[in-house]
Amino acid sequence: MSYYFAIIGTQDNPLFEYEFGTSKQGGDGQARFSEQARHLNQFVLHSSLDIVEEVQWANGQLYLKVIDKFFNNYISCFMTGGNVKFLLLHQPTATAAGATRNSTSVGANPTSPQTEEALKNFFNEVYENYVKAIMSPFYKVNMEIRSPVFRQRVAAAGRKYL
Amino acid sequence: MTSSTPPPPPTTTTATGSAFLSGGGLRQTQTQQQTQSLLDTDAADDPSDPLCLLLRSLVPHVAIHASDDADALVRDKGFAAGLWELLRPFGERVQGKVTVRDSNGAAKAWEDFAVRFVRFGEAVEVPEGEKGGVVGNGNGNGNGLGEGQKEEVIGTVEKVVERHLRFAEEAYGGAGAHSKEEDVDFLDAVDATSPYYALYLRRLLSGIPLACHETFAHPVACVMAISSRNTAPIEALQRLYRETSQGERRLPPWVDQDYLRYYILVHDEENGDIAKSMALFEQMKRNFGLHCHLLRLRSTQSAETDDDSIPLPRSDWMTAAEEMADIEESDTREDFEDPTRYIFESDATAIRTFVREMVTQSVVPTMERNVSVWNDQVASRRRGISGRFMSLSKRFTFGSSGRSSSSTGSSSSSNYDALGFYRADSPEAIMRRLADFAFMLRDWKLAMSTYELLRGDFQNDKAWKYHASANEMAALALLIMPPNMSSKTRIETISQMIEQAFYSYHTRCDSLYGATRCTLLALELLRLRGGAGTDEAVRWGIMMLESRLMGTVGDALLRERMAVCYASKQGAGSQVWGSRRRKSALWSVLGAEAWVAQAKYVQAQKCLRAARGMYARLPGECGVQKFAVASDFLAHLNDQVKAGLRADTGRGGEPRGEEGQDEAETDEESETLGNRRSRRTSLIAPVGVGGGLETAPLNDTERARLAGDNGSDDGFG
Repeated sequence: MSYYFAIIGTQDNPLFEYEFGTSKQGGDGQARFSEQARHLNQFVLHSSLDIVEEVQWANGQLYLKVIDKFFNNYISCFMTGGNVKFLLLHQPTATAAGATRNSTSVGANPTSPQTEEALKNFFNEVYENYVKAIMSPFYKVNMEIRSPVFRQRVAAAGRKYL
Repeated sequence: MTSSTPPPPPTTTTATGSAFLSGGGLRQTQTQQQTQSLLDTDAADDPSDPLCLLLRSLVPHVAIHASDDADALVRDKGFAAGLWELLRPFGERVQGKVTVRDSNGAAKAWEDFAVRFVRFGEAVEVPEGEKGGVVGNGNGNGNGLGEGQKEEVIGTVEKVVERHLRFAEEAYGGAGAHSKEEDVDFLDAVDATSPYYALYLRRLLSGIPLACHETFAHPVACVMAISSRNTAPIEALQRLYRETSQGERRLPPWVDQDYLRYYILVHDEENGDIAKSMALFEQMKRNFGLHCHLLRLRSTQSAETDDDSIPLPRSDWMTAAEEMADIEESDTREDFEDPTRYIFESDATAIRTFVREMVTQSVVPTMERNVSVWNDQVASRRRGISGRFMSLSKRFTFGSSGRSSSSTGSSSSSNYDALGFYRADSPEAIMRRLADFAFMLRDWKLAMSTYELLRGDFQNDKAWKYHASANEMAALALLIMPPNMSSKTRIETISQMIEQAFYSYHTRCDSLYGATRCTLLALELLRLRGGAGTDEAVRWGIMMLESRLMGTVGDALLRERMAVCYASKQGAGSQVWGSRRRKSALWSVLGAEAWVAQAKYVQAQKCLRAARGMYARLPGECGVQKFAVASDFLAHLNDQVKAGLRADTGRGGEPRGEEGQDEAETDEESETLGNRRSRRTSLIAPVGVGGGLETAPLNDTERARLAGDNGSDDGFG
């Protein structure tokens, strides 16, 4: 399972990007995207904004769950106030040998309730940190988030839940 | 097509327009789309639109069985393949309106009715269980589809389209200069079908094999032709008849033998005696009934320079294999020969009259009668209360007079033959024919309900190919006819049908052709339905890409098509929420990537331009440029395309570089070049694009470079 997390500003501009892998089931926390898929991740995430824009009006929640799927890539979304979106692209490993064995585990089945819950926790934790980060007096709307502390905290949340 | 419905107003959904205005117009078109039959939308009128291709490909087939003397007469006119070659282009559009009555007796006139002329006993596909069997493979013309040949269709289609693409690429190099005038406005072209995609689909749909599981290619009528040169005309006709109904060349047992026989006498205007022919014609009418026609043709060859000569239109529906052979022939032969044939205007008129008379007075009435008879005798029994609970085979021994179908084996209660087909007189086969006839006569409701009944039966009998085909056609009919359920359940029902058809074709029968055709057509119709249908269409497209049904060319074309699909989805309000512009751009980029990998830079450039246009129309107007890796990739792709195009132009310029050496030689060379080019245009012309395809993909590098420079802030340059 590999993840690509991005915070998207109001102008379709990424404010923050982070790639990581699963830390559950002995994962080492490294993303396993193939080299040629890395640009694709960005394209896919960007194209999912179409769906976000449609779904966001039909749902009262901030956490929109899995909103889109592109081949083997699943996109989950979390809306924040101010039209900034958290998008997480998760890609189950192609050789999902454990798919049947631990079908309840977070990695194997992207749409299971367990995964949804884990993602929700992850998003919530990131959201808290995000709010703290943008409260910095030097931060302006749609500015890239460069704070190393924030990056560490996102990484920690990823390790903790995913 | 009913011309009474006005075309929906063009909706402008620019971000600058008033939210209320654009939203209002939008809702109007959407509701229109949701209550109309697809035939009433403008898509049905556009000759390159997939819906139109679908309607024109599933048309009644008329077999032609000419005597040697009739073929010889036509051969004198310069048509090597005989009468069939001469008649074929005229079946593609029957002159005038053709009135068809549906099962309720309501008449409707169709402008674009067509029939397909095929050679008798050609392209017979042997059913699964009968492989290697000898049963009636009508290979009289040596053209029956063997096992190996059967799945080649997609491969051949790929090759043909690839050739056309290569021509375009070369033409770009050779004639990069004269394309200044065409500057496709992207906003208008957003829905347009790529000519190559249309070609792909057309070649895929032409030459439907005479298979047991669907009856579209089964002859509805058979034209038996003799000429006035024949010394024993009536005997010759009887012999022709005997050949079609018994002996070596008769059609296999799953084809209904009771198709209409139509007799024509080809009169030689220049050498024949009209009085004699008239007398003979009277005699024919007495012997064979009313389905006769006297076709008066001149027997000499017409040349372009003759006063009253017109070029014979090239058949739009030649099969991929034929076109491939054509292209190869013209490539290998050094001396250039114009493939266009000419015929006399009077001949063309005579043939048009003949086709119209045959279709309106014989073919359509016969089909209507068959539909109503079968509907009363077979289908309506199934529709009753008791019929619903039992499949056909169990309920009826059908025609208790002990037909040949009793040979199917006494123990089994099913009509599904051990050989792997239903005999032509089994109720299932008759119902299938009924449904197909209804489909061809555009009585969608009847077709749909009959397919619906058959679906279940075939599933019970485990006749998977039949099952797949019935599901496919049910889905298509349901998509075309005006919807009456809420759109959500509809799409779900349709998706289930497509799913079953796909699974049966692909996994159970291993029929790649069937799976491809089914998915492509369903995808196109879903796209036309709009709304949630668009997403569903793309889902099927992804499914096709994942299962690798098509080769590299089809793959790239399909990616391009996904972009069009998404682009045609309309949003609501001034922010056009619910549109899929980013998705569309994504697919365009994917398409460009695929084209670059195949070194088809002209196409790649088109895709990139589409992507750029889509990104420019986003509210932020910046696309993916803020994503570092993605915009780097785009820039790289753009560079590749530019480099490729430059190389193309360089190659095309070579002959001009030799100019200094020998004046005469260069002249000659450029002349042949010009010739070649015109030939290419004539090859591609039948695709159905008005302005000649050769110019369409062309763009001068100057402008491309400019566009690249302008677009540099999009992350493309």
